Amino acid sequence: MTDLDDRDDVFEDLEVEPEVPEYKSKVGKKRFKTKAAKTIETEKSEIVGYRQQPGKLDFTRPGSGGSSPLSERRDPKMIPRSQGGELEQPWGPHRHDSLVTGRVIGKRTALIDSKWKVTGQAVYGDDVRLPGEIIGRLVRSDRHYARVLSVDVTEAEAMPGVLATATGLDAPSAFGVLPVTKDEHAMAIEKVRHIGDIIACVAAEDEATARIASQAVRVEYQDLDPIFDMRDGLKDSENPIHDRGVYHIGESNVQKRVFQRFGRISDIEDSVASYERDWTFKGVNHGFTEPHAVVAHWDPRGRLTLYTPQQVPHYVHRALADVLNIPMHQINVHRTYVGGGFGGKSDPFPHEMCAAILARKTGRPVRITFDREEVFWTNRGRHPSRISMAIHADEEGRFSGIETDALIDGGGFASFGHVTTYYNGVLHTAPYEIGAFHYTGARVWTNKPASGAMRGHGAVNSRCAVEVGIDDISEQLGVDPIDLRLANLLPPHSATITGFRVTSIGMRECLERVRKESNWEKKFRKMPLGKGIGVGCGFFISGSGLPIHWDPNKFPHATVHLKIDMDGGVTVHTGAADIGQGSDTVVGQAVAEVLGLPMDMIRIKSKESDTSPVDLGSYSSRVTFMNANAAVSAAMEIRSDLITAASSILDLDESKLVLGDRRIFSKRNPEVGISYLEALHKAQEDRGALVASGSYRTPPMGKMHKGAAAGLAPAYSFSAYVAEVDVDVETGSIKVEKVWAAHDCGKALNPLSVEGQIIGSCHMGLGQVISEEMKYGRTGNLLNPDLLGYKIPTVHEMPEVVPIIVESNDPEGPFGAKEAGEGPLLPILPAVCNAVYDAIGVRTSELPLTPDKLFRSIEKACSKKGISDPRDLPNPKLELKPLSKILKKRAKDHSSRDRKRRLDSSPEAYFNGQLFGQEPSNPPEENDPEWMVQVIPDKEYLENPKLAGSAWLHKERRHRRASE
Amino acid sequence: MRTPSFQVHSPTTLSEALQIANSLKKQKTEFDWISGGTDLIPNYKWGINPRSNVISISGVDELGGISKTRIGAMARLQDIVESSEAHPLIAEAAASVASVMIRRSGTLGGNLCLDTRCFWLNQSETWRKSIEYCHKCDEGTGADCRVIPNQNELCVATYQGDLAPALMCLDATIHLASLNSTRSMPLEDFFQNDGITRNVLKPGEIVTHIELPDDSLRRFGSYQKLRHRDAWDFPEGGVAFSVGVDRDGSVSSLNMASTGFESIPRKHGDLISSLGKGPNWALEAERLGAELKRSVRPVLNTWFPPRYRKKMASVLARRAMEEASKRVTSA
Repeated sequence: MTDLDDRDDVFEDLEVEPEVPEYKSKVGKKRFKTKAAKTIETEKSEIVGYRQQPGKLDFTRPGSGGSSPLSERRDPKMIPRSQGGELEQPWGPHRHDSLVTGRVIGKRTALIDSKWKVTGQAVYGDDVRLPGEIIGRLVRSDRHYARVLSVDVTEAEAMPGVLATATGLDAPSAFGVLPVTKDEHAMAIEKVRHIGDIIACVAAEDEATARIASQAVRVEYQDLDPIFDMRDGLKDSENPIHDRGVYHIGESNVQKRVFQRFGRISDIEDSVASYERDWTFKGVNHGFTEPHAVVAHWDPRGRLTLYTPQQVPHYVHRALADVLNIPMHQINVHRTYVGGGFGGKSDPFPHEMCAAILARKTGRPVRITFDREEVFWTNRGRHPSRISMAIHADEEGRFSGIETDALIDGGGFASFGHVTTYYNGVLHTAPYEIGAFHYTGARVWTNKPASGAMRGHGAVNSRCAVEVGIDDISEQLGVDPIDLRLANLLPPHSATITGFRVTSIGMRECLERVRKESNWEKKFRKMPLGKGIGVGCGFFISGSGLPIHWDPNKFPHATVHLKIDMDGGVTVHTGAADIGQGSDTVVGQAVAEVLGLPMDMIRIKSKESDTSPVDLGSYSSRVTFMNANAAVSAAMEIRSDLITAASSILDLDESKLVLGDRRIFSKRNPEVGISYLEALHKAQEDRGALVASGSYRTPPMGKMHKGAAAGLAPAYSFSAYVAEVDVDVETGSIKVEKVWAAHDCGKALNPLSVEGQIIGSCHMGLGQVISEEMKYGRTGNLLNPDLLGYKIPTVHEMPEVVPIIVESNDPEGPFGAKEAGEGPLLPILPAVCNAVYDAIGVRTSELPLTPDKLFRSIEKACSKKGISDPRDLPNPKLELKPLSKILKKRAKDHSSRDRKRRLDSSPEAYFNGQLFGQEPSNPPEENDPEWMVQVIPDKEYLENPKLAGSAWLHKERRHRRASE
Repeated sequence: MRTPSFQVHSPTTLSEALQIANSLKKQKTEFDWISGGTDLIPNYKWGINPRSNVISISGVDELGGISKTRIGAMARLQDIVESSEAHPLIAEAAASVASVMIRRSGTLGGNLCLDTRCFWLNQSETWRKSIEYCHKCDEGTGADCRVIPNQNELCVATYQGDLAPALMCLDATIHLASLNSTRSMPLEDFFQNDGITRNVLKPGEIVTHIELPDDSLRRFGSYQKLRHRDAWDFPEGGVAFSVGVDRDGSVSSLNMASTGFESIPRKHGDLISSLGKGPNWALEAERLGAELKRSVRPVLNTWFPPRYRKKMASVLARRAMEEASKRVTSA
């Protein structure tokens, strides 16, 4: 066994500090001409940290600022107006303004781990090599659905080189990402639920032996009737895929059902335009580059270290403790570099358990790496869905109602499905003010790989249907679709129909920007056949309001620890999982900004559960909002210590001091000040290293009805995209030429990252529109579990993307920031669908819109119009009706209303419903007896339920027993 | 994925290669030729008919070379794309193969001898076990064809090479060699309509080069390829068309060939014969396209459904003709 400490060092990559050359230049007149100073000048316009070479830092001893030429002056352009700087604040001041030092926030900053990646030194899951490691291999089901009668490992165990095997009997405890739906096991206990489900595992000296041995495990099955069509999941079954005991819904495969009715449903009847369509969405996979890989090792003291590329190390931590039956403090979860997650690495996984079990049995480190096919079998991608979408508008061009029925195909396990079922409905209750909202949703188990959370979790498919519906309604009403949207937006600081508290809203600005930059007025409905332009919007949570595992009143959502010793460098401990999105960088930026330090003085420790405070991980777009807020709180503590120390040295009142580049000085008289290091050493007198802890928790919010917490977030992001396409009417192939993508992220802490997220989202969303799907054949087999068959767009398919950042200055976000990781994906789907309609006049209700499907629609459109050659198809034209003017006027009025509200420090309450004549200061249900809030279906609904709504025809077993 | 172990033989001359092949044949040891390996190795990794021995011909210089009338079997596809010697139609077809990186490895011979593909076949071992294998790779189970069940005789896996139709349109001759003999034939006679045997190559026999007629330089053509993405994807259908023009401008030959629709690439001499060789051949593009659509017989074993591929045959044919016509005019 090796020395633990030595080994740990190998992975402490961020701690490697480049050598610092000694500062030799003499203070004098020539000081500003030193080479280093020049470099700083030239770098100003470049990306922060981009040119830095190991051993060639641009500054000398940290903290030797003060009179040093290398301490930069405060750049007034980076200091907000509220603090006497020149940074414009069109959205008003922010509570963090006084903390701004102008160092890094808002500057294009290279990700602090990027050099490890581009030089190949980043250690990903499969790069972990421990001495004496052996290879684990999983035995997977070749049946869709079967009872496992016996598993015989004797032959495999007898093979030379095989060290251990394990089966379901070795780990009987169930686990799952959500405490309410723990339905997974390390290995099959009783049944296998899809092809690729894990039955057993083997560990051998090398991979070849492990593979052969895994094939020698003999399994006796009794086949059961599988179901593949999600509609069959609604029916009673002889052998439901899971048994929920007394909570089981009928004898069906319904895992979760939701019913919600808000607003004046009866007013829907008065609508003058309606869009009603049944949509089909195929399942998509995250398609991340790095397949799952894990290494498990039990150290000589009996503690387990699990190296795994995880988005949510804490959930694995919990699940391991449950499954291995050991206390959590005996486990160290080490998050390796993550080669892409997008939601697909946020569940605790069976293979992680298997590695730990095999390592415990053999006493040696066990590594398991997936083939791509196994990634598809693990899946957790976006749910295949059947969504019935109805949107209604009245004669004033208001959305009098949205009725959504979403049946989603969960595959073999629950995963995040409980939440997904809600998200398919509640995440389209904004950004528009609506008169009524009726959502029925159901998630069913089928004998396919489990669906789960994927970028834009639960919101993507129904959002696409909503935005295409709005496009259709605007055509029915004879108005421009952007005008229609602008005239129906919720104002800042309002509550949605389901009670979400929305703070900052940049939706209007997003729409206005894309309209202008895309030259919309000149193009929409004005281009020749085959060329089209379309718009789509998005709305997404910026962090989940309620943590999955604990009461938010007891524990914070995020915690960050800081430690600064005599060297002056700041060690940041955070549990936020950097999965490539740049969370280490953004947390580091928050600290650097508050303390006035360059990024080089910040080192992030975010990898190990032993040293990181507990964090809920990288999902629901929560990291920037919650972790950077926690980091700011912690840094404020240190800042206060430094200012106190500086105050006593300078004999100046604390309130008169500000922080700049490695310097603390008089705000009025910047020459009077001391270096950061001087202040630090003074603060450390009698106590040594400064340590601080900061945390974040969400404020209390939301309504009280069942399911009210789903979709609650401390802030929401908004986006609007315009896509321009070129459709080949003879083949049905779509080429997206250009996308103008405006996203309201509150404040771009690192514009480089935000743009990367926008462009990446366009790529990922585009895949779902034009080519990506998990294709199941007539036998229920997944036909394309590989990256040749699973068609991720290539560079040829990728359009030019013009990222447009809108900064709505969220009052609670760190420096005003909200999310940019998931929301930007939503609008690309409907924008492309709407552009296709503009190009050829064909409305789709099926994704992906592959050439064969689009061609079929084109053929139908031709035969309907009696045209033989698709090149003769007429494309849609726009004839504006009088309503158009009314909407323009309303949009203008609302625009000034919104501007007033966003600058008002305590705006009056605004509840969804005002547009429909309700009193805005109270929830409408308190004033209007017809305003519904209903979460259980009534008898009348059950007489004629929609598809997913029919899940409510079943009775839970416990109620059945009581009534029988 | 792990490549199963095999023994590699690396001859440096053709005769050495053929001798190795012959001796392996005598020992009843199964082997494969390997050139670029971009098709073979993925199949091996998936356990699709891996052999214990492979003979690599990448060191055999005499199999290389690109000239106006001869292209060696070992000519790399990207070299063909970049060559000033290769016929533009061949270069166009080669440029549509997969991606630059794959083309730098893949070869002419390998592309012509490309294994047929089918989504019931090109899958991992566990996957194929879950459908109890198929006729082409039955692992000794005698499994039925999964595309057209209950026939158990013919494999209908699809041929998806890009170069064959282009070469056919230029009336290419393919040259084969075995230990004691060589033979050649028009390229269209090289292929056999069976997804398993695929072509006339006998054990121990190898493709050495293709030869083009001297008049190929006076031929203008176009290759149109149907696929979902503009990189990586195999053709879901491909149509090449060429027109030969005499010095006086009169049409001397017309050719059309297709790939990606069936188990073999096909030259459509029968359809072309209806065109006549008058100056107005291009006006009949629409009709010829419709006839090609009726002629091809795709099955459901690739990414796009057969109905769609069949319909696209007519679009591809028409576009190939229109493009060829343009190129004649601009030449």
